[in-house]
Amino acid sequence: MELSDSVVKGLQTLADPACFDFRAFTAFTEVAFDSLLSSRTDRALDLPELKKIDQALLKHCHVATTTFILEGIKQNADKSTISSCLEDVKFDSERVDAFYTSYQKNKRNLESLLSSIDRCPPHITDASWRLEYCMKNGHVHNVNQPTFLISFNTEDGGNEGTSSDVNFSCTLEQLQDLVGKMKDAAKSMERATQL
Amino acid sequence: MEEVDRILIHSLRQAGTDIDEDVQSVKQFTSELIVEAVVRCLRVIDPGLGSGVSTTLPPGMSARFRLGMSLAQACQDLGYKGEIGYQTFLYSNEPEIRSLLMFLVEKLPRESAEASDQPAGKSALLQKAIAAQIKAQLALPWLPPSCRLPLHCKTQSPGPCHSFRAQPLSLPYSLKAPSKKQAKEVKEYWRVHLLPVTSQPSQHASVPASLLENHVSELSAAQEWENEWNSQGLLSRLTPEDYRSRKRARLQKRIEEQLRTAAQPRPDTHGATRSTSDLTELLNSFGGTATGGDILTKGTRFTHSEKFTFTQEPEKAAQQMAAAASALPSSHQSEEDLKAKQEAELSDLQQQLQQLSVQMEEVGGDIRQLTVSIHQVSDELKQRELSNSEKQDTVKVKKQTIDLLPDAENNLVKLQSLVEGSAKRVVHLASQWEKHRAPLIDEHRRLKELCSNREMESSMKLSEIKDLHDKIRHSAEEAKKKESLYKQLITEYETLPKDVSRSAYTMRILEIVSNIKKQKEEITKILSDTKELQKEINGLTGKLDRTFAVTDELVFKDAKKDESVRKSYKYLAALHENCTQLIQTIEDTGTIMREIRDLEEQIETENGKKTVSNLEKILEDYKAIRQENSALAAKIRDG
Repeated sequence: MELSDSVVKGLQTLADPACFDFRAFTAFTEVAFDSLLSSRTDRALDLPELKKIDQALLKHCHVATTTFILEGIKQNADKSTISSCLEDVKFDSERVDAFYTSYQKNKRNLESLLSSIDRCPPHITDASWRLEYCMKNGHVHNVNQPTFLISFNTEDGGNEGTSSDVNFSCTLEQLQDLVGKMKDAAKSMERATQL
Repeated sequence: MEEVDRILIHSLRQAGTDIDEDVQSVKQFTSELIVEAVVRCLRVIDPGLGSGVSTTLPPGMSARFRLGMSLAQACQDLGYKGEIGYQTFLYSNEPEIRSLLMFLVEKLPRESAEASDQPAGKSALLQKAIAAQIKAQLALPWLPPSCRLPLHCKTQSPGPCHSFRAQPLSLPYSLKAPSKKQAKEVKEYWRVHLLPVTSQPSQHASVPASLLENHVSELSAAQEWENEWNSQGLLSRLTPEDYRSRKRARLQKRIEEQLRTAAQPRPDTHGATRSTSDLTELLNSFGGTATGGDILTKGTRFTHSEKFTFTQEPEKAAQQMAAAASALPSSHQSEEDLKAKQEAELSDLQQQLQQLSVQMEEVGGDIRQLTVSIHQVSDELKQRELSNSEKQDTVKVKKQTIDLLPDAENNLVKLQSLVEGSAKRVVHLASQWEKHRAPLIDEHRRLKELCSNREMESSMKLSEIKDLHDKIRHSAEEAKKKESLYKQLITEYETLPKDVSRSAYTMRILEIVSNIKKQKEEITKILSDTKELQKEINGLTGKLDRTFAVTDELVFKDAKKDESVRKSYKYLAALHENCTQLIQTIEDTGTIMREIRDLEEQIETENGKKTVSNLEKILEDYKAIRQENSALAAKIRDG
């Protein structure tokens, strides 16, 4: 994992026992994880454990730690990567373990946070159909053709999970073509698993 | 044999043969299975050989025969030494098939084993990961949104989405300067007023995006600087700070030049005046930042004049506004009048403008002419001054000579002595100069050499540094590669089935080897025993012969004299003959026993060859062929 100089500097400050004692360190890491996950963080750094640390330094460490956490989640870093990175910035093993346990605890939420930075097409949640038989219309007296009215219920993640309908009509052949293609897709999916 | 069969079946499965789970030994192989296994192996060993043969036995007898023949031919082409023909496949017997399959399995290429040592390509790894993920997702049933558990939410619902929207963050540190150099106010701001980064963006959803973006930009800036420093900065032999400041100055100069050329007022664009004034302002601000803000206190003539014009401008604008405002209420005339008036005014003004511009051009031409003439005149002036001073010098010399003329002889002597003295002095000075010069030149040379040496050294060191940089990069890359390979191998190792224990196999192999050793020892023991026995037998027969000969002679001698002795001689002869017969019989029994054992073995092998069933099969096939033939003949007759 590649880290910029400012992040490295911030983490080094965090590792320094003269600056952060262990109690302050654990409180600070909790705050860092929470501040990424919860939206009310204006006064997050106003903790009694962190009172005696210079606020500018504290904020620098906060930037560094949050950046480090996000990079770790982004690259799906495992324990060895995290601990080697932290040991490079002079964390002792106790702090590495403490950090890693909080990391592990929050990993799932952070992953979903990062994966929510996305744009995805709507997902289909339900489908319904209706057979329509047209006997005649205003222009032709004798039509006598069946058509299918298909309605897909979709769920869109971009607009806070609102659902909407996609409606279309098709003839039997078109429907068969659609179904065939869907089956083909499912089959190729299964084939892809057998590598 | 079970062990061998299991290994054989395992390798055949790997080669692509579809063997049922309940087939445990080669004994259970049917003809179809044998043909399929052999064809699959042939295809793997040599695609050219195996591709022409089908993996299934055809129904027709003659086609089967042909298939068997071609398979046998292919196996012989591969170098199989044993007996092989169509009967090997159609009327199989266990040992033959086993030896054939063993031969084929040994011939199978071992690529797969070697490939696992190489690092799998990234794409292969990725594909594996994708396949695993899809498998996991397929294993979960799809549920409608109302029934979803949190477990399914991750893969089956789109979830809330945001686009990647990064916002600039205000950071409590500066990338350019160390924090000690920061102004007190800035530090105060950092300490008291600056919000934590996670609450800076307006929406909480853009926090991770902003942080990641910020980090990436810092990283890329650092990387770019590194690249530039390695390629150009090192060669310039400056410290990083010097290099940076020099580069900044260069860039600023370039930008300034560009802007200045762009800011030149062009006569054809009337609207450009405003933008150019903006540009000049920008230029000024450039100068201001470049010199560190002291321009405000000191100020140049240029800035003063600029300031003057700029401070005047608002006033002017205000005046104009006031004039316009005063004009507005007085406009009680009709609109048309106003329009006409305005148009007249406009044309008037335009005319004025044109006149003015024409005048400007004229005046500009005059100015140019005048400046040219001023140049010319000043040049002339310089020349004149030069000639003037020359003339003054000559006048001085001439004046002196005229002064000296009255007492010419005395003055001549004086002058000569003066000249001689000065000549002597010159020589003296020259010799002194030489004295001084030699060491100085030496020193100069020495220093020059030193300098060039230093330069050489420094360039050598530079190249060394470059090499080192390259090496560092290479090794870092290699280390990364190795690490990833190590990780991959570890994961592979973890996924490998653990029940195939290598140690058990090696143990068994070692056991087998020791067994073989023991057997060998026993065999050698038995061999030596037999040899000893043979020797003993030989010795005994020799002894017997000799004793018989001696006894025979003794008894024969006495037999001529005595009747009873003759009788005993006869008995002796009979005894000897009987004994030889006995020995003969025993030997015969031995050979017969051996023959019996051989025959028994032969019977066993013949039994193993499934002769009876094979014969029945052959008979059936023979009948089938005859039927086919007769059918064909009937067809021909009919045709």
